[in-house]
Amino acid sequence: MLEISNLVKRYGHNEPVLKGLDLKVDGSSVVSIVGASGAGKSTLLRCINRLVEPTSGSIKLNGHELVNLRGSDLRHSRRRIGMVFQGFNLIDRLTVMENVLSGRLGYVSLFQALTRRFPQADIDRAFHLMERVGIAHYANKRADQLSGGERQRVAVVRALMQEPEILLADEPTASLDPKTSQQIMSLLQTLASEMSLPVLINIHNVTQARMYTDRIVGMRHGQMIFDGAPKDFNQDALDSIYGGIESPEEDAAEANGPAQEATA
Amino acid sequence: MTTRGTASGITSGRVWKKPPFIANPWVRYGLIALTLTYLFWAFSTLPFDWERISEGLPRAAKIFGGAFPPSFERAELLWKGFKESFQIAFLATLLGVFLSIPIAVMAAKNVAPKPIYLLGRAIIIISRSFHPVIVAILFVAAVGFGPVAGILTLTLYSIGFVAKLLAEEIEEIDWGQVEAMRSVGAGYLKMLIYGVFPQIMPRQIGLSMYQLDSNLRASAVVGIVGAGGIGGTLMNAFGRYDYDFAFAILLMIIGIILISEGVSGWVRKKVW
Repeated sequence: MLEISNLVKRYGHNEPVLKGLDLKVDGSSVVSIVGASGAGKSTLLRCINRLVEPTSGSIKLNGHELVNLRGSDLRHSRRRIGMVFQGFNLIDRLTVMENVLSGRLGYVSLFQALTRRFPQADIDRAFHLMERVGIAHYANKRADQLSGGERQRVAVVRALMQEPEILLADEPTASLDPKTSQQIMSLLQTLASEMSLPVLINIHNVTQARMYTDRIVGMRHGQMIFDGAPKDFNQDALDSIYGGIESPEEDAAEANGPAQEATA
Repeated sequence: MTTRGTASGITSGRVWKKPPFIANPWVRYGLIALTLTYLFWAFSTLPFDWERISEGLPRAAKIFGGAFPPSFERAELLWKGFKESFQIAFLATLLGVFLSIPIAVMAAKNVAPKPIYLLGRAIIIISRSFHPVIVAILFVAAVGFGPVAGILTLTLYSIGFVAKLLAEEIEEIDWGQVEAMRSVGAGYLKMLIYGVFPQIMPRQIGLSMYQLDSNLRASAVVGIVGAGGIGGTLMNAFGRYDYDFAFAILLMIIGIILISEGVSGWVRKKVW
């Protein structure tokens, strides 16, 4: 259960990126966060695992306050929060297996990390998860030799290696082709229900958000302006989030008619 | 008929010239005049003794004549000198590269806090500010003649060069990988080992090879001021007018540099 209340993030003296945001995510629900670029979606996710320092507010994961943690307390709570990135952020020059095992870095000793002597249980878990997503045969390949979809699978497995209590995905499909991005979305969806893991996904593709997630949160200018089931996410909600501009992926056929007339 | 199309609007005869490098003509011609005046003054006041130069030419010819054919008779001495030079260069490279990794991390703005960063930069600036020959003179005075002075000199020389370039490489890494390592809960050192070092590894190996190359060359030079190695042998050969032996040493130096250049190029191509 993730509880965010009155979260504010301000960079320097500029206008805040997040303006008192409240969000509650429970159980194994898959929540997608939609919003135009600059709405604060990335900042929101990064505040949760404190890659970005929140200015004020509270973030609680299963009852534990995450804001104001320092040093090893912070690292210990980061272990419980998996994150998947738009650019995959794999260690390109290391093998797939090393990348997967790096998900355990918060648990092993420095010596184990340096010499790659991870506990047998971690290695078993790594092979199990890699088989689950179909990349086990790449274990000894260098990460940068894989295709985009395969790399994102490695990144997902790395995050799952942490035994996370929540998974954050920052535009996980934005660097992938449409077909692969659907595969990744449905993978995240099934993993969430298999492991009863709450998943927060930042996403630009509204069609995919509707198809693969249980709940859509719409953000604009650092505030939440929509929160509901995908079936309630209608054109009005879309317009209020994207300011009336049709997002390119959204219902091209529907939007095309009037738009073309208007520009003609 | 006269005003058809856009072609008729073209007026011909407009000239275009590349704008001068220095826009102000007074500054431009002033600088040229100043340079020429200085050159003239410098040549007219330096004590060129043409008589001595002309006397020296046959002496130079004699030296070169004496150098042919190069003599490899004292191969044992040659070998001993080279072995020492190589040992100096190799140990100094190992030590220098090893020490330059933490210093590079200290001197990289993106991974080091401000005071540490300044300290790291200071170490690099100090180790870069003197030519190895000057450092060698200091170390020979401090620890006496011999290879130890050479090793210390070239270690410092390696740190200055390798740490500086490595620090710049660290500042240009893909930050996403570091972010990923922080997000799994890795501490600072684990973040360095996984998030930073793999990214700078090829550069690190390339720099080490280049530095070994460079240290081999420099070890011949610092030997001249008494820091051990082939430089000392070369100096002795000159002092005793054994020009043929000196020439043999020079040929060997060229040969070794060529080999090390080839090897380092090959290794750098293999790691990417």
